[in-house]
Amino acid sequence: MPERRNDQTRNRDHGLTRRRMIGAGLGFAGAPLMFAPSAMAQSRQSVDGRILVILELSGGNDGLNTVVPFADDAYYRLRPQIGIKANRLRKLDDHFGLNAGMVGMEKLFKDGKLAIVHGAGYADPSFSHFTSMAYWHTAAPNSGEQYGWVGRLADQMAPSAPANFLINIGANQSLAVRAHKHVPVVFNNPESFRREAFFEEKDALAALSDPGTVQNPSQRYLLDIARSANEASAMVRKAWSQYRSPIDYGIADLGLRRVAAMISAGLPARLYYTSYANNAFDTHVVQSDLHGRLLTYTSDAVSGFMQDMERLGRAEDVTMMVFSEFGRRVPENTSLGTDHGAANNMFVVGKTVKGGHYGDLPSLTRLDAGGNLNFTTDFRRVYATMAEGWLGQKAAPVLSGTFKPFAMFA
Amino acid sequence: MRLWLISVHAACAALFLGATAPVLAQSQSPDTWRDDLTPISAKDWNPARAAHLLARAGFGGTPEEIAKLAEMSPIDAVKSLVHFKADSDLKPFDHSGIHDPGLEPFPESRPAATERAERTGESMGVKAKPSGNRPLQPATNRFFYWLRASALETGRVGYWWANRMLVSRAPLQEKVALFWHGHFASNEDKVRDYRKLLNQLDLFQTQGTGNFRDLTVRVAQDPAMLSFLDAGKNVKGAPNENFAREIMELFTMGVGNYTEQDVREAARAFTGWNYVDTKFAVNAAQHDDGQKTFLGETGNFDVVQVIDIIMKQPVTADFIAGKLYRFFVREDLDPKLQAKLGDMLRRNRYEIAPFLEAVFLSKDFYSQASVGVQIKGPVELAISTYKRLGLTEVPGVPDFNAATGALGQRMFSPPTVAGWAQGRSWITPGLLLERGNFARDVLFPDINFIPPDRYNFAGDIRQVSERLREGADITTATSQAEGVVVAESNMAADRDEDFNTRYASYRGWQMAIEKVKAIPRDTARLDLSTLVRANRLSTTTQVVDYFLARFMSVPPGPETRARLVKFLDTDLGTSDTARADTYMEDSLRMLTHLIMSLPEYQLD
Repeated sequence: MPERRNDQTRNRDHGLTRRRMIGAGLGFAGAPLMFAPSAMAQSRQSVDGRILVILELSGGNDGLNTVVPFADDAYYRLRPQIGIKANRLRKLDDHFGLNAGMVGMEKLFKDGKLAIVHGAGYADPSFSHFTSMAYWHTAAPNSGEQYGWVGRLADQMAPSAPANFLINIGANQSLAVRAHKHVPVVFNNPESFRREAFFEEKDALAALSDPGTVQNPSQRYLLDIARSANEASAMVRKAWSQYRSPIDYGIADLGLRRVAAMISAGLPARLYYTSYANNAFDTHVVQSDLHGRLLTYTSDAVSGFMQDMERLGRAEDVTMMVFSEFGRRVPENTSLGTDHGAANNMFVVGKTVKGGHYGDLPSLTRLDAGGNLNFTTDFRRVYATMAEGWLGQKAAPVLSGTFKPFAMFA
Repeated sequence: MRLWLISVHAACAALFLGATAPVLAQSQSPDTWRDDLTPISAKDWNPARAAHLLARAGFGGTPEEIAKLAEMSPIDAVKSLVHFKADSDLKPFDHSGIHDPGLEPFPESRPAATERAERTGESMGVKAKPSGNRPLQPATNRFFYWLRASALETGRVGYWWANRMLVSRAPLQEKVALFWHGHFASNEDKVRDYRKLLNQLDLFQTQGTGNFRDLTVRVAQDPAMLSFLDAGKNVKGAPNENFAREIMELFTMGVGNYTEQDVREAARAFTGWNYVDTKFAVNAAQHDDGQKTFLGETGNFDVVQVIDIIMKQPVTADFIAGKLYRFFVREDLDPKLQAKLGDMLRRNRYEIAPFLEAVFLSKDFYSQASVGVQIKGPVELAISTYKRLGLTEVPGVPDFNAATGALGQRMFSPPTVAGWAQGRSWITPGLLLERGNFARDVLFPDINFIPPDRYNFAGDIRQVSERLREGADITTATSQAEGVVVAESNMAADRDEDFNTRYASYRGWQMAIEKVKAIPRDTARLDLSTLVRANRLSTTTQVVDYFLARFMSVPPGPETRARLVKFLDTDLGTSDTARADTYMEDSLRMLTHLIMSLPEYQLD
């Protein structure tokens, strides 16, 4: 039986065995908040229990108004209307300040848990949301690669594709998690992640995915998804219903509360993907208030999540990477907004992260022909940092090339 | 008609009894049909192919509707769908009357609304109070009123359109409008004016099978689109490139077929194109009149000329033909076939109707590669479910917009300007279960249903309402203090003194539901027992086979069929439907729920 073989491989793949996980789940019913941390304690020192959470900011976040280089006169020259005055920033040092609403991330930086990577991008940038996002999702610009880099990472980490290894919070599956072997668990609302059925229907429902007569690839796909749904839904729902947290995640939790619930319940997932969805950061017009709000929500959610991990005793097991498909044009447009740009900053957040600045600063005076920052850091170096530095995986096979990781972890 | 039904049922029975599926083999197309654009002949026309045509050129149909198409010749069947006559029984949209001229020009944001009231003493036709607490409150309330009212009225437009999809005698008119709505995507959340969206839908319904070049020009002058892509902000000097980029990347050519310089030059041509209320308007002073060099041509181009240059590019016909094909036929498209389709569209001078006619008649359309491979989008799923159930009105329970939205496709709410990513991206584990739950909600209406066009599900609005009832002042009523508030975004909400946003949000909802007509909340009127009687299905096996044939395009495996029969036997307490005649309805609905929960139910 393939099922059984998977189960055994699962024991080798993870520090936490399936049996122990089920035990944790049962223990949970009695003492939900106390049991999870101790059940996980033993995985802490090895890379085996480490979790990577990826947060996508869709729409092209304006990195220059996020981490503002207030000491650079060129910034104010190019952005006379929407440049943020130094006295309105949350200063990190004598050169950079965060957008005013980013209280939580300022604290993370000052506590040494927030790494800012500068100038992340790639050669010959695409200014299309969809194309550039696909490049970031696949880690393979201009290649037509059909699997996502997180999916490929999952395939390499756990080749037997155990269930519930890769979780994508969202209304739709991201290209980033599309895997050759894994069927990612994708859900938006955990409460509705269930089959509503009469007791009398149960036996019949159990046999609804009958692979007997597959006529075409779409049908094959649907049968795989049906299997994944059956394997994941009860677990996800239970995790969510048992999750209680006093932590304030702010107005938009960006799916991070759901990630925390899954981690709190001890699901076997090692990779989580969530996003600030629907092109939210596409600020072409009158951007200042809107952009400030988006960043406030993001910062609140990120810092809420990190506090929650601390509360759960999992802060050393979890690292978060934050990215957007591109930055924005350096000069502002005439609509008090900014158009699609190129290189951008990225964030890596976690208790074991060595906070600070990484990557060379892109010049604000030597821009490309379109008025964009020239990239200084191939974004795949950050992916390699997550794969090697954090998860202990060889990055080159996943990224189809060698990208030098940053020494970012203590 | 009856005869045909019995023959389909017999075919399925043969298939499921495992006798090497003789009938299916007969209706299977030869492998050579794939990518063959020559028309099928009359001798190849049969009910299964008519059902396939109706599923793709419309939203599927009842066995009776399918039989009617099957009786025609294939060319007549295709023509009746493609060269439709508008259905005169369809009623125009019934406006609630929520708009008044004072609202125009509607401010782009809440801060802009209150700023205007502060600066000029008036905003959206409402004056600031000369003194007293919260002088800008009435204007703020007014801002939220329109936001809520327009969103609610858009929900009514969604219902109106869904009913057209369900009952129109010209279903392709609605199907093609659905295609264009996903192609030239605009979102109510940003446009915030149901009237503009209704006008845009009208354009897609009336011009959807017309000329693509003309349609593109009309869209470039369409206030909903101009508003959605910030074109109104695009002025001479430093143009906003949003519209120019999307028109090339998403609407006509596809990425990689133009340079960044072309984007900038086209953006200059778009400068000054704007709208006033619901009408297109050019602001000559903001239009860049200079020479532009675009895709190798130089001149003082305006938008229409830019679009004409785009239409001259061979890639444009290939791009749009490929997109139409992927929507109506299948996702898997060979580049050589795409080139042929592009050529066909070019030869038809971008006329959509003859293009679709040729596609729907082609052997390729009826080949194994094309039949039963499309994963239905949520709207198609809902409408085809209602059609196959024999409904003549979209039920009020479950709410159409909420249900399709939960499945990933709410009308007038595409996730981005790229519209909905179709095909496999419609399905995730979560959404597959949700599709089964949708069917259950239709078959067994939720007795706890709460109409989302009256009740506000946002907890904070209800909390404000409750506290006001208790006599609280606005500051107390709108305070968030409960638990530990530390997140910056939650602390910021209470800071202003000129007006209170949370109160306005509550009051705006209240004003909106006063004006917006309620959506009728009738549940589906179902009578599955009559289907069993009328088709003389005397055993549970016959019932299962008839239901599978009626509801499914791709039948499930034999083990599933056996389980369904066993379920029905057990639940009825007999395999004899005559014995169960007086009480079989609930069991039949459960059977239907089980069928609609099958992975294969998603395919057409």
